[in-house]
Amino acid sequence: MLLIVVTCFSQNKQVLYNLTSVPQSMMLNPGADFKYKYYFGVPMLSGFSFKVGSSGFSAYDLFANDGVDFNEKLRKVVYSTTRNDHAAINEQIELFNGGIKLGDWLENKGYLSFGLYQEFDFWSYMPKDPAILALDGNQNYIGKAFDLSDLSMKAEVLSVLHVGYHKNVSDNLIVGARGKIYFSGFNATSTQNSGYILTRPSNTTMYEQIVRSNLTLNTSGISKYIADDYDGDVASDVKKQLLFGGDMGLGFDLGFTYYPKKNTQITASILDVGFVRHSKDVENFTYKGYYKYEGINPGFSGNDDPDGVYSDFNESVKRDTLYNKYTTWRPVKLNASYQYSYGVNRDEDCVCEAGEKPYKNAVGAQLFIMSTPRLPITALTGFYQRNVSGKLQLKATYTLDSYSYTNIGLGLSARLGAFNMYFMGDNLLGYRDLSKANSLSVQFGFNFIFKDSNEPPNK
Amino acid sequence: MKKYYLYKIVCLLLLTGGSFSCTSDLNFDQVNDLKLTPVFEANFSYFNVPATAFVSSTGLEYQWAYDEQEFDVFRDKYLNSYLQKVDFYFEINNTINRAYVLNVVLLDDNSNALTTINFNVPAYSGTTNTITRTEIFENMRLELLKRARKMRFLIAMEPGPTLNANSTGSIVLRSSATVYTEIQ
Repeated sequence: MLLIVVTCFSQNKQVLYNLTSVPQSMMLNPGADFKYKYYFGVPMLSGFSFKVGSSGFSAYDLFANDGVDFNEKLRKVVYSTTRNDHAAINEQIELFNGGIKLGDWLENKGYLSFGLYQEFDFWSYMPKDPAILALDGNQNYIGKAFDLSDLSMKAEVLSVLHVGYHKNVSDNLIVGARGKIYFSGFNATSTQNSGYILTRPSNTTMYEQIVRSNLTLNTSGISKYIADDYDGDVASDVKKQLLFGGDMGLGFDLGFTYYPKKNTQITASILDVGFVRHSKDVENFTYKGYYKYEGINPGFSGNDDPDGVYSDFNESVKRDTLYNKYTTWRPVKLNASYQYSYGVNRDEDCVCEAGEKPYKNAVGAQLFIMSTPRLPITALTGFYQRNVSGKLQLKATYTLDSYSYTNIGLGLSARLGAFNMYFMGDNLLGYRDLSKANSLSVQFGFNFIFKDSNEPPNK
Repeated sequence: MKKYYLYKIVCLLLLTGGSFSCTSDLNFDQVNDLKLTPVFEANFSYFNVPATAFVSSTGLEYQWAYDEQEFDVFRDKYLNSYLQKVDFYFEINNTINRAYVLNVVLLDDNSNALTTINFNVPAYSGTTNTITRTEIFENMRLELLKRARKMRFLIAMEPGPTLNANSTGSIVLRSSATVYTEIQ
């Protein structure tokens, strides 16, 4: 009854994608060619996934215990990254997960799968210009407009209740869909910022100095935690509002698997096309306005503005707290793969069951695209998959993405009766020194899968 | 036997992965060493007073020009605590054929003078007539600056050729501040 899935990966789960001996592959393509009579997991233990990734710098760059001053390291990281570098954390914990084949053993009524998982998602771009301003000020940057749109981050916790269905619509085409209801535990989004801080030489006053600010941080479900008098336990309170306590949203996944030839397979999926409407416990913090600072200038006329610079500024660029509902969109993930299989197992030569893969080897390519607050991120993967036996599958991947050009992944899926386990890791070269890796992932899991069979059940 | 074969592979992979991976020595407490030392350049003050401003509508000379401005930047307690040093840079360009004395006085809430900056500005005689100076505020003098709430400007005209409604030239002050901060 033990089913544990521990996964550490970027949201690109390239080793797991289309590894159809593992039920979790259906979460990456609801139209995956995965057949079962039924499968299930233990509540709370059916899945855990965690990913940390940063492009442009690693933990070692910032926190190496090497005697170098932390501020020097921080400066080096800030200056060596770009505004499109980012840090991301994604964590998923499956509360339960299961599936069942519909209809009798001879019928083709499709497969149902369902589950509930919790997800934590954090994404922040490198706030490069504000960081330079905080580190060094504007002294060496006369003429530069510090771009406030560099501030872009979001964080959320949500529960996702999902039901999926896939079916062979013809001998060589499987389509699937998964509907999702999102329950938002909390959300903080600040991705629509603009404005600048500019100092440049002027002919009259020494400088032309302008602050144009259009900053907004939307939050839902966090007001009580940031209140001054909050003394509760954040973790347990968030859990309470995760289910049915907070905001709701809807979304779906779609996918297919198509065999143009027996040994050629094409798959694609789109995941998390959905939104969450934030209406409960909403707070919007804004910092908006325009101020041109010219100095403390006497007019010698006797008719002066009685206000000082400081209060003028505070009136021009205002901090406000509003209570407007807002909508967030889930990051949309797109997966696609092309696979060519070859080499038939000699002992399985004539047991070519429909839909199952008698081939020993497969090579192919996968594409992953995910929407972000700015340009989508893309990863390209080449893979080799080997059926060592009907009970053991191995998959090796090589991935190019914004985190690394040397991402090698390995995965293994093994079956002992109904008991299935898999182990996966990517960025294996990063394991030479974990602290220097930009992103890392390890996955393993245990499933009970009761195979669909072509034999009558009472045989 | 097949079961053991699988277990062996799994264990072997875990062991190899485990023994080849390592991590360099990290110290996250270094965050406590965070110290930001930004230096900001900002306008401090500016005026451009034409010669005719020292002539009344009846043609008589005004001997001085005077103004007092709110100076409330240091009401911000955060800025006050971050301040390490402030340099005020002054650049005065006089193209009036009269000499002036410029006093810039920093005053506290009760209009008590905290510090006075004096400039003797020579009369214009046809050649470039710019004087520059940097006034540095640190330590005790910085503490005085933090108490400043008002700034008084006094331009007193020295004796010389009489100005009239057709007199040319102006006295121009351009001034900037270099603000050294430390945020810990």
